[in-house]
Amino acid sequence: MAKVLKEVDVVIVGLGWTGGILAKELSEAGLQVVALERGAMREAAKDYALPGIRDELRYVHRHDLMMNTARDTLTIRNNPSQEALPMRRLGSFLPGDVVGGSAVHWSGHTWRWTDMEFKARTLYEERYGKKYIPQDMSLQDWGITYAELEPYYDKFERTAAVSGKAGNLQGRIQPGGNPFEAPRSRDYPLPPLTSILASELFADAARNNGYHPFPRPSANASHAYTNPDGSKFGQCQYCGYCQRFGCEANAKGSPHMTVIPIAMAKPNFELRTNAWVTRVIKDSSGKRVTGVAYTNILNGEEFEQPANMVLLTAYAINNVHLMLLSGIGKPYDPVSQTGVIGKNYCYQTGAGATLFFEGRNFNPFMSSGGSNISMDDFNTNWDFDRAPHGFIGGYTIGGGFNTALPIGHRPVPRGTPQWGTAWKEATSKWYQTAMNIGASGSVMPNRYNCYDLDPTYRNAFGQPLMRMTFDYKDNEHKMGRHAAERINAIAKSMNPTHLNEASARTEPWTVVPYQSTHNTGGTIMGSNPRESAVNKYLQSWDCHNLFVVGANVFAHNCSYNPTGPVGALAYWTADAIKKKYLKTPGPLVSA
Amino acid sequence: MQGMQSKIVLAAALLALAGGVNAADVKRGQKLFEECAACHTHERGAQNGVGPNLFGVVGRKAGEVDEFRYSPAMKRSGIVWSEQDLDAYIADPQAKVPANRMPFSGMPDARDRADLLAYLLSALK
Repeated sequence: MAKVLKEVDVVIVGLGWTGGILAKELSEAGLQVVALERGAMREAAKDYALPGIRDELRYVHRHDLMMNTARDTLTIRNNPSQEALPMRRLGSFLPGDVVGGSAVHWSGHTWRWTDMEFKARTLYEERYGKKYIPQDMSLQDWGITYAELEPYYDKFERTAAVSGKAGNLQGRIQPGGNPFEAPRSRDYPLPPLTSILASELFADAARNNGYHPFPRPSANASHAYTNPDGSKFGQCQYCGYCQRFGCEANAKGSPHMTVIPIAMAKPNFELRTNAWVTRVIKDSSGKRVTGVAYTNILNGEEFEQPANMVLLTAYAINNVHLMLLSGIGKPYDPVSQTGVIGKNYCYQTGAGATLFFEGRNFNPFMSSGGSNISMDDFNTNWDFDRAPHGFIGGYTIGGGFNTALPIGHRPVPRGTPQWGTAWKEATSKWYQTAMNIGASGSVMPNRYNCYDLDPTYRNAFGQPLMRMTFDYKDNEHKMGRHAAERINAIAKSMNPTHLNEASARTEPWTVVPYQSTHNTGGTIMGSNPRESAVNKYLQSWDCHNLFVVGANVFAHNCSYNPTGPVGALAYWTADAIKKKYLKTPGPLVSA
Repeated sequence: MQGMQSKIVLAAALLALAGGVNAADVKRGQKLFEECAACHTHERGAQNGVGPNLFGVVGRKAGEVDEFRYSPAMKRSGIVWSEQDLDAYIADPQAKVPANRMPFSGMPDARDRADLLAYLLSALK
């Protein structure tokens, strides 16, 4: 029998970037806030300090900061005709499982998604006609605009210490920045990171090919920095242990060293770790939620935490899972294309080449999360005509290194034996000489790519696992081929000694190798409850005191990393709650 | 304790000598301390961060702040921190104490270091 606790104003489920931002903003507004985090407490000084943090086995192979698949996982299949099987070991994506969430082990890439995404259906229909969008591509507008989000992007960039170079300041194109970005009210809080040899070579080649390279904006502080809340950042040391590790120099913008400690200093905020939320509780009308049920995973004790407002701020997949487990909103059915919860799951695609230059020393162990140089000529560049290539969306191309680990990063020419003397000779010969050029590509929604509850497999709490049905479609194959061709052309123009050419991902998607922790959709935002799960303020259409915050609200996935809009939307939601919802609790958008 | 006081007197004398011609800029030093502040506190009794609390560092033996987990290299260094030692360490941490764990690549400019140390010495009194 669950113990019923004293009611609070707000319960926050999951304490990463979105939960941390909302915890800080709402506790500062005077509300009684309780945060429930399934993971353990971790602190930079104790847990991310040298030398322990530079442990590839612990953090890369044993996934120390990530979800434990023995407790809960997903079942995976490519299409509805297959039987989904449980993912027994993390691979393709790596959700976080500690205070700070995935934002402890992220790299820091922070992009501003623009109206090219938020108004995607409208823009493609206007330019290419309705028939250009495939029948089974469930592309739709997001119900929000770049202009609305701009101040919140700015706020998040300042909180997270993003280093970069503006390319468009209030409509004026800036040399050295991304000329295809949307207008910014002001520059990044910090100048770009120091570029490394590999990224400089790529930038020269991109420029020589007529493209527009620029430093990738990233929450790795290029200088010591104090953010507007007073959180202090050290300077990035280019140690090369960014992705999958906590930062040893407090230089990577993460919630555990910014918003979370600020919330924790407030007497009206309480954090409970090792608290696994199993469902959101609805009242008898079904139009309000009354709190959440959770289990203390250390001793199995069960609790109900009543609250006036519930904020789902867990990892994107888990937010959707909780909605399905709680029976809030109509589950999506891909056959009839009705319902909304589970709809428009998207991922990302890509292509990559490795270039070998005999005699070069790239020192790949030396990099920051964002020391790549990027180009957006085939992404936010709307002048790039997609029609001859027949796809929707786009891709960024980047060159350089991010977390090329001393043990794991072993570039060798294709065809080299995978073990033994020949491999050893090759890895020692080529290690210093290799650099990468890679594309990260969008994935458009498809009616058959979705989530639902698995009919067979259950987690440690006896609840159905989340079932993910996903594969790349023709649109992604076409874009992948286009990307691979462009990468190979740039790579060849650099005259490497040897080139492992890029190729499109056209085989069925597999969950086994790591690809990216950029899972989007499932409870998408939109302008009406028929097509979306939440409104533009990320408020549930069904229960007005429930907000669902994270990349799960993205109506599709673009080529960019998701954290920029995830952070901006968290601030946007916090403002909507403080300025609108608290004054007149109820739906913020009439259905 | 007496040793520490005499060190401070000595440091003050050195600063006084330097004054006039090339006075260290404490305000500038405070700004430069931002590079350290993400990991180091310097107020009396403040908690250790990623790095140890710096209160009273001048005259202290290296590796002796309570509850801070130092590298073996720092503990073995045998340094009793003088202003000159701090200057050399901040200039190039790995040259002064090879294999220490401070993730900081160094402050190469002598004037920056003089200002930083002037601030640290004034703040640590």
